[in-house]
Formats: sequence, structure tokens, C-alpha cells
Amino acid sequence: MDYSTEVRRRFAAAVPNWVDHSDGVVVVAEAEDRTLGLWVRCHMRVVDSTIASVAFEVFGCPDSIAASSLIAERLSGRSIKTLDQIDVRRVAVELSIPTEKLGKLLRMEDAVLACKALVDAD
Amino acid sequence: MRWPRLIRKESESRVSSQSIYLDYAATTPVDPRVIEAMVQCLGPDAVFANAASTHGLGLVAKGLIEQARSDIAARVGAHADEIVFTSGATESNNLALKGTFGEELPHNSRLLTTRIEHKSVLDSAEQVARRGVAVEYLVTDACGRVDLDALASTLQAKATALVSVMHVNNEIGTWQEIEAIAALCRAHGALLHVDAAQSVGKLPVLLEDWGVDFCSLTAHKICGPKGIGALYVRRGRRLAAQLHGGGHEHGLRAGTLATHQIVGMGASYALAEPASEMPEIERLSQRLWAGLAAIEGVARNGSAATSIPNIVNVRFPGVDGESLRLALADLAVSAGSACNSADVEPSYVLKSLGLSDVAAAGSLRFSIGRFTTESEIDRAVERATEEVSRLRSLAPNAPNWCLS
Repeated sequence: MDYSTEVRRRFAAAVPNWVDHSDGVVVVAEAEDRTLGLWVRCHMRVVDSTIASVAFEVFGCPDSIAASSLIAERLSGRSIKTLDQIDVRRVAVELSIPTEKLGKLLRMEDAVLACKALVDAD
Repeated sequence: MRWPRLIRKESESRVSSQSIYLDYAATTPVDPRVIEAMVQCLGPDAVFANAASTHGLGLVAKGLIEQARSDIAARVGAHADEIVFTSGATESNNLALKGTFGEELPHNSRLLTTRIEHKSVLDSAEQVARRGVAVEYLVTDACGRVDLDALASTLQAKATALVSVMHVNNEIGTWQEIEAIAALCRAHGALLHVDAAQSVGKLPVLLEDWGVDFCSLTAHKICGPKGIGALYVRRGRRLAAQLHGGGHEHGLRAGTLATHQIVGMGASYALAEPASEMPEIERLSQRLWAGLAAIEGVARNGSAATSIPNIVNVRFPGVDGESLRLALADLAVSAGSACNSADVEPSYVLKSLGLSDVAAAGSLRFSIGRFTTESEIDRAVERATEEVSRLRSLAPNAPNWCLS
């Protein structure tokens, strides 16, 4: 397998980095696709309708682990109210992830949107 | 010929460099003594002449080739005239299977093999199946051993032309009871082909005594050069040639003989003495497995009791295989899997043994050899321990299917 430099960098640097529970609301949601070999759990902390921090637990390939780190960075500071999707194609392009793996990124989006739904329902 | 003993010192270890080579089942470095033998066949003042030529230089080349043929035959318990040179075990497997089922199919045109053979056997089996040969796959147990009772029943029930079984599996190291399989084949009038690419130099190979009819051999698994191998063809057995154009090698394999490659193969076979080499490899293998087994949940694919010691296939539950391979990119180990452009296919051998896709993908084959050092083993264990722990920590709540 060939991985981009950025995927390699993010994969090598990946360590557990969970959200803190100091204030706001913390929601957790999962998504998986066994045929793709991916399981992801999204932890999201929201303070005053703003996503304060996001962390993913990921069982999956290096591209998935790198993508989760980039998505977590991009979500922090965004308004939860305007969050309606993640541009997974842009993430894939940015990390040079092959299009065959977009399905894995879509499962990450599923977990993120499930978190939003939990916040909305709160 | 007496060969000087070669001992690799710890100081020569590549631990401090970028990669630790633990992929000897894939291929091996060429032994410097083999290189020395090969060099005598290269260059303008060397024995470079065509061995088929009748002039003096050609006869010298032929002499070196025949010496190599004798050395190879001696290592595998065969006669020199039963060794046919090929480009490697893949070609030998092709020749044995396709050559048995030549232009006219025998009346008992059935081939028995297993699902854990090398691809060159499985793909050749598919080829002959397209020509009308009935191909059936023998049952293997969770360690990859052929069920001898099932083999006997099948041979009893169905007339079979050829049985093809590898001596040692290239992914899990499981060895088969070739002598017993050969006895069953002989009792039922079937020929036996054995792929011994992984066993020569690690186990005694006694082709004539065992009653094997065809056997595929290669040089590059035992510190010889790549691109050279042989097929053992028992006296009196017939095969249809698959390459034409010169009638070399008793008409079985056309093409100018590659003197330097053959001499290299002969040297590597002369050097590959299991009794002298395997005790140290077994010690290192036990050290490797002891270290890896200390990682929580780790299990061995196959069984130490039925595997040759130089191959240790390990599964790491809770870790994605692709991530594990990238995390351990500084270890030259094998996933035993075929890659396509975007993803990695789990090993068909491990899946045949009953492993799930996730478990098969999360397995690594460590294979050690002549130049492996203790410090390399220790470093490999250290790195595997570190990275498995790190990757598991990224998904501490992963569901059971990720842990299988």
C-alpha cells in the first residue's frame, strides 16, 4: 500500500486524545462497516452550540486514522447548528486517500452526524 | 567441496539501520560463498560458455552444471539425472501440473490438491480444470495438515492421476507427512507432486525413499540466487514439456542453461545442511515467539508442533492489519497477502484455516534465516509490542468483531 506523506505523518503521530468533560455537553456516537473493516466512535464536546473538541476512536486502516485526525481538527470551533455534512471528498483529496476508501470516510461522517443528532435532541 | 563456515557477527547486524529483515520465507540474501561460486561463471575470463556447446569451454561449463546437479540431487535424496533446471519453483509447479495433463488427458484425469498451496499450483490447477481435468481440494485441519484418512478415502473412491501437496506451507510453516501421503498415492496408482520450495535446508528431503514422483525446488529460499529452480522428475515418469525450442533438459525445458545461476543453486544446496543450521534458527524462533506471546491476546497461526521453526505466523487481535503493517514498516515481515491497487486482501491460506477476514488481515509472518541475529529478534519484539499497544489504544472500546 502507498500512503501520502500527510497520512504517514498523522498516522505516526496518532495517540489517544480524548475530549475533556470540563464544561458543555459531551456526546458519543458510533458507526461501522464490517465489510470495509472500519469501526469508529466519535466523541464530541459542544459548548454553547460550538463544537469545542472532537476525538475519534478508530479501528481501521492508516488512511482512516489520518482522516479522523484531520476531520477532528476541522470540526473544532464550528457551529453545531450549521453542521450538516463533512466534505469527505475534500478530506480524501487533501490526504491523497484513494477514492475506493471514501466509504470509510462516510462512516466517520455518519458518526459525526449522529453526535449532532444527539446534541439536537438534548 | 568443503565450504568455509560463515558466521554473522552481532556487530554486523542491521538493527541500527532502517529495516530488520525477517522475511526469509519470501526470499533470502545470497550467501557470499554462493556469490563467489557464481562469479567464476561471469566475465570474459570466467566459465561463461554455453554448456550445450561442444568446444572445450562449453564442456567446462557443462562440468560445473553437472556438479551442481549432483549437489542438488544429493540434498534432496535423488539421482542427478532426475533434476531438470527451471527458472524457479513457480515454473516447476506449472510444469508438473500442466505437464502431467498433457495434450491427451489420461483416463483418470483427476487432480487432488489443497486450498493452501502456492498460487502457482492453484492457478495451474485452474488451468488444467479448464481443459477438462477434475480438480478436487483435500481437507486440511486448523493447522493446515492434510487429513490422511480423507485422502485415502478420496483416492479409494476416485481414480486420480496426480496429487499435489506442498511439503512446507509458505505462510504458516506447517509441514506435511509426505512419506505417508506418497504411500497412499502409490497404493492407489496416483502420482505425487510436492512443492518443496520452503523445506529444503530446513527439513530432510528424501524424494526417492519417500516415493515422490515430482518435486519443485528453488534456490532463493536458501541463500541462493533468484531466477533458478528445478523440478525433480522420478526416473520413468513422463511429463509434457511446456517450453519448446532446443530440447534441453531431456526435452522437458528448452533454453540455454544459466550456468552462473545453476552453479549458485548448487552451492546453496551444498551449504544448506538442516542439522547444522536449524538448531540456532530454532533457538531464535523460540525467543521470537516467547517475546511476541507476551503481548496480550496474541496467538500463533498454525502450531509450533507441526511447523518448521523458521516461520512464525502471528495474529494480533484488536489491530487492523493494514495499520499494523505500516506501523511496523521498519520490520521486513510479510502479511502473506496479495495487494491490489487500493486495499489488501486477507491471506487465502489463513482464511482456509478458518480465520475471519479481520483476523487474517491482522496477522504477520515472521520468518528468520541464516543471517538473523538475536538483537534483531529482540528489536522486532520490542517494536511489535510498542506498536500493537499504540494501535490498540486508538480504539480501546472496539467491538468484538475487531478483536477476533
